[in-house]
Amino acid sequence: MPGAVFSQARRRQIACLLFTIPALAVVGLFFLFPMLRALVLSFTSWDGIARTWQWVGLKNFKAVVTDSTFRQISFNTVYLAIIYVPVLNVIALLLAVAVYNAGKAGNLYKAMLFFPNLLSMTVIAMIWSIIYRYDGILNQFLKAVGLKALMQDWLGQIRTVLPAMSVTIIWFAVGYYLLIYLAGLNTVPVEIYESAEVEGVSPWQKLTRITIPLIAPAITINAVLSTIGIITLFDLPFVLTRGGPGFKSQTIAMHVYAYAYQQLRTRYALALAVILGVFAVLITTVLLAFLRRREEAAQ
Amino acid sequence: MSRMRLLGVRTRRRVGVNILMILIVVVLVMPLWYVLNNAFKIEREILLRPLLLRPSAATIDNLVRAFKAMKYPLTFMNSVITLVLSCTLLIALGSLAAFGIAMARSRFFNTVYVVLVAMITLPFQLAMVPLIFLLKGMKLTNTYLGLALVYAGWFMPFVIFLYTGFIRTVPRELEEAARVDGCGLLRSFLSIYIPLLKSITGTVLILRGVPIWNDLLVPIITISRSTMSTLPLVLYSFIGTPGSRAIQWSLVFGSTFIASLPIVLVFLFLQRYFVRGVVAGAIKG
Repeated sequence: MPGAVFSQARRRQIACLLFTIPALAVVGLFFLFPMLRALVLSFTSWDGIARTWQWVGLKNFKAVVTDSTFRQISFNTVYLAIIYVPVLNVIALLLAVAVYNAGKAGNLYKAMLFFPNLLSMTVIAMIWSIIYRYDGILNQFLKAVGLKALMQDWLGQIRTVLPAMSVTIIWFAVGYYLLIYLAGLNTVPVEIYESAEVEGVSPWQKLTRITIPLIAPAITINAVLSTIGIITLFDLPFVLTRGGPGFKSQTIAMHVYAYAYQQLRTRYALALAVILGVFAVLITTVLLAFLRRREEAAQ
Repeated sequence: MSRMRLLGVRTRRRVGVNILMILIVVVLVMPLWYVLNNAFKIEREILLRPLLLRPSAATIDNLVRAFKAMKYPLTFMNSVITLVLSCTLLIALGSLAAFGIAMARSRFFNTVYVVLVAMITLPFQLAMVPLIFLLKGMKLTNTYLGLALVYAGWFMPFVIFLYTGFIRTVPRELEEAARVDGCGLLRSFLSIYIPLLKSITGTVLILRGVPIWNDLLVPIITISRSTMSTLPLVLYSFIGTPGSRAIQWSLVFGSTFIASLPIVLVFLFLQRYFVRGVVAGAIKG
C-alpha cells in the first residue's frame, strides 16, 4: 500500500500547512509586507499621499544622510550603544554574582531589581524627568551633601543629557539582564567553585577564569538583546527628553518617528527606517558571529 | 586552607555581599519610593519633603484626581481589551503554527521557521510607516483589532519560536501513539498538546504581554481618538509640552501610581512565574 502511505503523509503536510497559514497571514500582512513595502518605497518619490510615484534611486537616502540632523542622531545612537551595552552588561553580571552569593535574601534582591522592568517606560521616563529637573530630587540631594557645584539641569544640557539618559535606561533594564546572567550562573556546577576556593583562588580570578567562560552563552544572548534593544528603543527616550535639547538626545529610532509624524516627511522616514533596519541586521550578524567564535574558543 | 577557615571566609563574604546588596537595592529603589510616597500626600509637602511621608500630610486626593483625569475605568478597559485580544491572537495562532512547523519536519517548513526567527530582531520602525497606511486603508486605526493585529504581526515570530522550541522537546512518540489510536493532527493538538503548553504559554504572556500592556509607540501612531486611549497613552498626554516647566505634581505622581498598580499587583501574585518566564525565554533565544 505505498500509495495509501504516501497520501497519508501528504495529508499530514497539508494539515501542517493549514495550521501555519493563519499566523503566517498575520505576520505577512501586518509585519513582513509593510517592511518590504518600506524597502521598495524608500527608493521612490512616494510621499504618503500621492497615488503615483517614480523611482528616484538613492535620492532619499542621500537626502537623509546629508540632512543636518543625521550626524547628530547617528552619533547619539552609537554613543548610547557604546556606553550602554558594556556598562549595562558589566553591572548586570556583577549584580548577578552578588545575588548568587547572597544566600536566602538573593530572591528578594532579584525581585526588587527586576521590578522597574514591569513598569511602562512612559512611567519610568516621567519619574526620571522629574528627578533630573533643576528643582528635582537629585539636585536637592547634591545640595544636601555639600555638592552644590554639581547641581544642574541634567536633561536640559548638551553635556549631561546622554549620560543621564543612559543611567535611566540602565536602571530600567538591569534587572532583566541580571535574571539571564543568574540563570547562566545556576548552570555552573557548585563543585567547581568549591574546589577553586579550597585552592585559594581569588574572587577576581574566579570571575574571570571560571564564571565568565562558563556563562559565555548568557553573555552572547545579553549582548545581542541589549544592542538591538538600545538601537530600537523608542518609548523611554521619547518621553524622557523628546530628543532634546535640540536634537542632542535624538536617536535614529526616534527620528524615524519624527520624520513620519512630526515633520511629515514620509520619504525620509522610510529611508531612515531602512538604514536602521540594515544597521540592526548587521549588528546582530557581526555580534553573533564574533561571540559564537569566542564561545567556541572558551570551550 | 583548612575547612573551618574556609567556612569563616565564606560567612564573612556572605555578610559583606548582603550589606553591599542592601545598599545597592536601597539606592535603586529610591525612585520608586519617590513616586509611592508622593502619590499619597498633599502638593506642598511633595516639594518640601520629597522622600518622607508624614501621616499628617497624607491624602488620597491625588489618586482620586488622577482617577478622574485619566478616565481610569475607560482607559483601563481599553488597555485590557487590547491586551486580551493581542495575546489571544498570539497564543492561538502562534501555538497552532508552531505545532504545524514541529510536526511537518520538512525542508519547506524549516525554511519558514528560519525566516521567522530571522525576523525577531528586525526593528518595528522598519514596518511602521507603511503599516499605518495599511491600517488606515483597512479602517483599523482607532480600533482594538487594529492595535491587536499590529502587536500580533510584530511579536508572532518570537511567539512561534518559543512554542516551536518547546514542542520539539516533547517526545514524538506521544503524537505517534495518538495517530495509531486514530487521532488526527488537530485532535492531537487540541487534546494532547494544549494541556502541555501551559507553562510555555505563561512565558509568552510575560515576555510579550507585559510589553504590550506598557507600550506607547503603537497607540501613539494608531490611536487619535481619546476614548480609545490606553494607559501609557493617557499618561503621555499628561506631560506638558517640552520646555514647559509647569507640572501638576500631584497629578503626575497620582497617575503614575494608579497606572502602574494593575501590573504590580499581578507581579506580586505571580512573581515566581515572571522570573521563570524571562529566563525560559532568554535561554531559548
